[in-house]
Parts: sequence; C-alpha cells; structure tokens
Amino acid sequence: MLELMLFLWIITACIILWEKRHVRMVLWLGLSSFVASIIFFILGSPDVAMAEAAISVFSTIFFIVCLEKYYTLRNPEQKVVSSQKNDSLVSHGLRILFAVFLFGLFMYFSPDTYFDPHLKELYIRRAATDVGGENIVGAIYLGYRVFDTLFEALVLVVAVVAVIHMSHFDETPPKDEKQSEVRKSNVALFLMRIVAPLTIVFGIYLVVNGFLTAGGGFQGGLAIAAFFICRYMVYDIYDISMSKVNKMEEMVFAAISILAVLIVFQEAQALIPYHLLPMFQNIYLIAMNGLVGLKVACGFLILFYRYIAIERS
Amino acid sequence: MPANIIEISAILMFIISFYGLISTKNIIKSIIFIVLMEVSVVMFWLSFGFSLGQLPPILSSIGGMEYIDVVGIENIADPFPQALMITAIIIGLSITAVNTIMFITLYRKYNTIDWDVAKERSLTE
Repeated sequence: MLELMLFLWIITACIILWEKRHVRMVLWLGLSSFVASIIFFILGSPDVAMAEAAISVFSTIFFIVCLEKYYTLRNPEQKVVSSQKNDSLVSHGLRILFAVFLFGLFMYFSPDTYFDPHLKELYIRRAATDVGGENIVGAIYLGYRVFDTLFEALVLVVAVVAVIHMSHFDETPPKDEKQSEVRKSNVALFLMRIVAPLTIVFGIYLVVNGFLTAGGGFQGGLAIAAFFICRYMVYDIYDISMSKVNKMEEMVFAAISILAVLIVFQEAQALIPYHLLPMFQNIYLIAMNGLVGLKVACGFLILFYRYIAIERS
Repeated sequence: MPANIIEISAILMFIISFYGLISTKNIIKSIIFIVLMEVSVVMFWLSFGFSLGQLPPILSSIGGMEYIDVVGIENIADPFPQALMITAIIIGLSITAVNTIMFITLYRKYNTIDWDVAKERSLTE
C-alpha cells in the first residue's frame, strides 16, 4: 500500500514534468497532493494529512483563477509567443547530470538518525501534564513551541497584505451580471447545498475538539474558509466587507500574541491552584485553537475573495 | 545512507521538482514545481524514525498515559516533526497565493507566460 502510494506520488510529478496543457497540470498537482495526504496518514500523522488535503483544494482554486485570467487576457488572434532559441542537447544533458549528481549527494550524506530519541520520549510522556490535552502535536505547537505559531500567523498576515496590494482593485466588488459557473449545473449545486453546512459544522468540531483528537486551529480554520467558498459558489453572495475582515484578522493576531505571552512566556500556570490546573489548561487550548482557527479562516477568506475580484474584473 | 523507502522517495521527488524548476520556461509550471518541492520537504521530515504501523501521537488513540509503556515508545510516531510541518504547510499555501498573484501582475505588465520573453521585455523597456 505504502510503496504503491509512493510510486503514484512520483509518477504524478513525472507526468507534470512532461505535460504541456496548463489545466491538466493543475489537476495532476491536486491528485499529487491527495496522494501525499494519504501517505501522511499512513505515516501516523492525521493532523498533517488533514492540513494537506485542505491545502490541495485552496491551491487548485488559486491556480484555476490564475489560468482563467491568463486565458481571458490572452489575445486569441495573437499566437503564443515563446522564446525562439531552443535549448541545445548539451544544456539538457548538463541539467540532468546536475540533478543526478545532487541526488547522489543527498543519498550519500543523509544520516541514519536525525533527532535525539529522548526528545520524542519527553514530549510523549510530559505533554499531557505540562500543556494539557490529549493531542501531543497540538500541545507542541500551542505550548512548547508557541513561537512557531506566532510567526506562522505573522507570515499569513504578510501574505494577505501582499495579495491585497498586488491586486489593484477597489473595496467594492464589480456589480456585473456574471454568475459563478457552478450555477449552470444542477447536480453540483445540489451537492454543494448538502456539503456546505456539513463543512462548517466539521470545521467548528475540529477547532473545539482539536485538543483531544486529530485536528486543531489550522485544519478547522481551513474548513471554515471552505464553507465560505461553497456559500459563494451556491448563492453567489459577495457581501462580506474585506476591510472589516482584514481588521478582524489583525485584532485576532494581536489576541494570539497577548495570550501566548501571558500564559506561556510569563508562566501563568504556576499561579493556578493545582486542582484547577487541568481545567485551566483545557480552556487555554480551546481558546488558542479557536483564535488560530479564526485567524486562518479570515486570512484565507480574504485571499479567496481577492481572487474572485480578480476573476470578475 | 537513508534509512527507509519514504526518505528515498522524498529525495527523488525533490530532485525531480528541482530538475523541473531549472529546465522549464513556463512560469505556471515553475510555481507548480515549487509547491511539489515543498510537499517533498514535508515528506522528508515526517519520515524520520519511521517504521510501518506506528500509532499517531494522540493519547486517546494510544489508550491513555498508562498505555505508553505497553505500546512502546518506538511504536508511536514522532510528534515533533509533525508540529513543525503543520505550520510549514500553511506557510507554503501563503507562498502559493503570493506566487500566483505575482504571476497575474507580471502577465498584465509583459503579456507573456515565458521567463525569457518576460526578461527580454523588461530589459527593452
């Protein structure tokens, strides 16, 4: 099973290497992400598998909007201009040689062991008492290594700002008669009407229950953002004010920083009486997961709405 | 030398994407190979200390704190790379979003999908 999936994963990359048509390339990329997500699940990491599966949806949407813009902006009479000079056989051969050389180098120098196994044992044995919850992965990124989460949230804020500033559009969306393509197909519409409420319930479940089972703020936030995509597709509503969502995202980021600094860096746990500690830890984990989920949902909602504005303009 | 088949596959995937990145002239294809490269790096990190049939690092799936020694530490997946990789995946998606929007801006300006043509047009401007 594992070997088959790894083989499929590498085959999709080779197909993308030879593929000339853009839409097919993007679809093969989606398949590759899906296969990678199955492999992550076999490797015993359901959290990463869930995040990867959600990611494949969003990256496919980004690429499809990008290609749609490319096909509409392209002048149909004008032939595709590509550079005249073709690569010679020597340069092809040199590239292949360089790639093979790198492969050999990586294989030769990759060591047998990477991490101190004591670190793994320490995390597994002590996470439940130090940070709380039953999901050790969540305990690491919300407790021991909360700096990572802070800077990940910062990177997301920077990405949203970059996308807003590079897509030169006004706040108000264009009021045209164009409808989303899904409205032409009754089956897709019917299915999405069923799936959309399930998606948001699943997202909230992942956020709230993330400290007990697989899931957490990132995956739940992506599911909640997916609900808004379904909502746009089915009802064609484009009514959320982007500046308000953007302001909310920044406020949530500030809240994440304050909570992390107060509770993890200032060690507020030492002030709590011993018998109240598990309850306090659970409340902290739920609050932090909720804030991270809200942050990710706001960020990707803004990104998606920006792409829709590009597609409609 | 690498310890298991997943590590070898991840290195192979990284090299294939690297070859695609240096050999293609298509901008969209370059962005796709950057995404593939990032997934292969995630796979490489998750393969550390892997053996088939490891349980996920969630106490409710193991059975509780007292079952850790019954199951054995070596039969539980390492939680540390997973926690790092979840943040890496979200950052990778942000990078994809910024890349595609940069492509649209570039296409508006130079009206091409080819790296060399874009370079020529930016130089003759």
